[in-house]
Amino acid sequence: MKVRTPQGDTLDLMTVNIGPSHPATHGTLRFLAALDGETIVGGVCEMGFLHRGFEKMVEQGTYSQVLPFTDRLNYCSAMINNIGFCKSVEKMFGITVPERCIVLRVILIELSRIIDHLVCVLANLVDLGALTNFWYFFNVREEVYRIWEKLCGARLTNTVTRIGGMYRDAYPGFEGDVLAVCGKVEAAIAEVRGLIEYNKIFIQRTKDIGIVTAEQAIAFGWTGPCLRASGVDRDLRKDEPYYGYETYQFDTIVGTKGDTFDRIFVRIFEMLESVSIVRQAVGKLKPGPVNAADARVSLPPRDNVYHDMESLINSFKLVYEGVRPPAGECYDSLEAANGELGFTIISDGGTNPYRIKVKAPCLTQWAAFAPMMEGHMVADVASALGSINIIAGELDR
Amino acid sequence: MLSTIIDWIAAHPYQVVGLVLPIVIPLALFQILPLLVLMERRGAAMIQDRAGPNRAYIPIPFLNVKVRGFGMIFNLTDAVKLLFKEHFTPPFVHKGYYRIAPAIPLITGLLTPALIPWFSPIVYQGGVLSGQTIDANSGILMLFAMASLSVYGVVLGSWASNSKYSLLGGMRASAMMISYEVSMGLSVIGMLMIVGSVSLTDVVEWQGQHTWGFVVQPVGFLLFLVSMFAECNRNPFDVAEGESELVAGFHTEFNGVKFMLYMSAEYLHMIVASVLIATVYFGGYQLLPIPGFGPEWVKAHVGQVLAIGLVGMALGLLGFVWVIKNRKAIHARSDSNPQDKAERAKEYGLYMAVFTLAGLGLLGAAGASWALINIERLGQGWIDFITAAVQFNIVIAKALLFCWLFVWVRWTIPRFRYDQIMDLGWKVLLNVALVNLLVTAVVAKLIG
Repeated sequence: MKVRTPQGDTLDLMTVNIGPSHPATHGTLRFLAALDGETIVGGVCEMGFLHRGFEKMVEQGTYSQVLPFTDRLNYCSAMINNIGFCKSVEKMFGITVPERCIVLRVILIELSRIIDHLVCVLANLVDLGALTNFWYFFNVREEVYRIWEKLCGARLTNTVTRIGGMYRDAYPGFEGDVLAVCGKVEAAIAEVRGLIEYNKIFIQRTKDIGIVTAEQAIAFGWTGPCLRASGVDRDLRKDEPYYGYETYQFDTIVGTKGDTFDRIFVRIFEMLESVSIVRQAVGKLKPGPVNAADARVSLPPRDNVYHDMESLINSFKLVYEGVRPPAGECYDSLEAANGELGFTIISDGGTNPYRIKVKAPCLTQWAAFAPMMEGHMVADVASALGSINIIAGELDR
Repeated sequence: MLSTIIDWIAAHPYQVVGLVLPIVIPLALFQILPLLVLMERRGAAMIQDRAGPNRAYIPIPFLNVKVRGFGMIFNLTDAVKLLFKEHFTPPFVHKGYYRIAPAIPLITGLLTPALIPWFSPIVYQGGVLSGQTIDANSGILMLFAMASLSVYGVVLGSWASNSKYSLLGGMRASAMMISYEVSMGLSVIGMLMIVGSVSLTDVVEWQGQHTWGFVVQPVGFLLFLVSMFAECNRNPFDVAEGESELVAGFHTEFNGVKFMLYMSAEYLHMIVASVLIATVYFGGYQLLPIPGFGPEWVKAHVGQVLAIGLVGMALGLLGFVWVIKNRKAIHARSDSNPQDKAERAKEYGLYMAVFTLAGLGLLGAAGASWALINIERLGQGWIDFITAAVQFNIVIAKALLFCWLFVWVRWTIPRFRYDQIMDLGWKVLLNVALVNLLVTAVVAKLIG
């Protein structure tokens, strides 16, 4: 491919498709790179290979039927999506969920954050050729999935929350399992850090690769760990606290440079902070109801349904029609593993959402990928792409 | 007619062995390939804290046991699968080169053993049987020439594939080969300078009279080791394959037997590289890194040396029986499927019986060798050949240690980027090799 530069030189470039089906792109993404030798001169990002029409599909069902769809957004941390969606709908209703439900949700969010970061970092390390770390992290992830199995029967797509509460209360022994996993996460992180932290090859491969400065990151609209890696101290858990995050002791991890190394280590240290939050939350877990006592969203107690006319009607309406949020528009977001995950919900007062728009954190990161890679080499595509953690399910929806 | 041939063979045992060895040794090396693949898989599983290959099995009819061989059967299934796959040729390739290319690395890999001294030269009435099949004066230079020819297979294959990923892989392989050939050659020159000869037999003989190479040339050894990793395209230098960047690099478009040829060539080169490291820096067929235990001493005490080796192997096998016993206990504890559990128990019981018997048999053989193998009983000819076999096994044992190093490194550290490899090769290794050469030259001149 012959190209003329603005200076008037003619370059003979080779175009290479990285993706849509390529081992470096975890998911179906396409990056068309123009190479001069092995250096990337320019590139184009393309998305949409996993477009499933999420936002149109959800208009066909009731609010409760949207929940299983949200699992498929960021499938590495499905529970955060469940909780994010429920949080938005609850905001429309103006419902406050009970204390036990809040603490349970915090535990689930933080454990999901841990497994999401684990997957991101391990996949990134595999792209760098450090295959062994994969299993050190994946074994821990498996332990978390065992808890998920016990909690709701599903591993990947959990659908664990309900509007106004949870699917069910935690099983007996949940706290013990969670604390045991916390220790294993710390051990695995120590092991992987031992392998990579002072490894010259790892540092060479990740330092100064894919730098995104704080200004660029803000301009691209980045959120979450990638933004923090660029040196911007923004974390919704600190800045716009929800679910009582202001009462937990934890630090926001901020990088300095915004390169791949920073993004990997921001995630690794964030996992340690999440472990500390989980430990604090387990201490706060008190017995109590997990569903809001609100007739608009929660099913009445079984006993009342059998002996009380109003409860029977209530149950009937909720099961056959679904919840009816008041007409209006609402945006609510939380700090998901990947960044700010927001749901804009427009309700016309009916049982089906009129429109749901997801603010996916990946989208802005993918938009920045092509400029990020300019001047780097083909091998850096794999490492940089892993570090911004694009989940195609969330990107294309 | 036949009797005359037999008579001639009986009268000229050394000449006959000299004729047969060039075929036997590469084939013997080829037999190490499955062992190496098993080592890679088991080693990876061990390092990565996972179960490893344990599914493929051969049912033994009458005993009703499924023999899994700790993943050994996978080599068989892999080979059968690859051999019987459709010979698919992509429509866009250059057909001629595409067919020739995979054979080149394997052929060069099979030629290099001819240049390695496997045992000390045997002097007999009317000639010398050298441990090197081709005892050329150019020695190690010819070996390097042979080994570096293998990159032509990679480059040709990548060019013939007519695919961009392959092209990038082949380009990386050729650039890397050129860069590391230089530092590899320079690193070994220090050793050759001390020895004063480029013949590998001389290098090994010198190590027997003085001490092993890595003691006098530690820097050279490290440089040579790193260069060998690069020559074999092994992690951290496996950018030519670079599976996360270039899909599969130069062999993206190859499948079936052609892919198998590339893979077996890679492992064969690993063995050859290990043998070369062992030969140049770890004494080759020499037994111990101290003078006085050279080939003559081994020849005089070959029965005892063999006995000690056999006892070592027997102890290894009996230790392995203990490992199997532990694994059996683990399976009995953790297998949830009762049928599975019964099968494993039976299978491991069989292994324990077989390995215990084999270990005891080896102990018996060791005793027999201690008592029976001596020059009075067997005569010069047999002692010569037994010594050669023992020396061959010494080389292989040393080489296997380095093979394990290859596996260990592969599963521990990440991969370099292509330009970083070039930097390391030209800016670091080359300079260190030159300084090492200079220091060696000065010291060698001063000491004499």
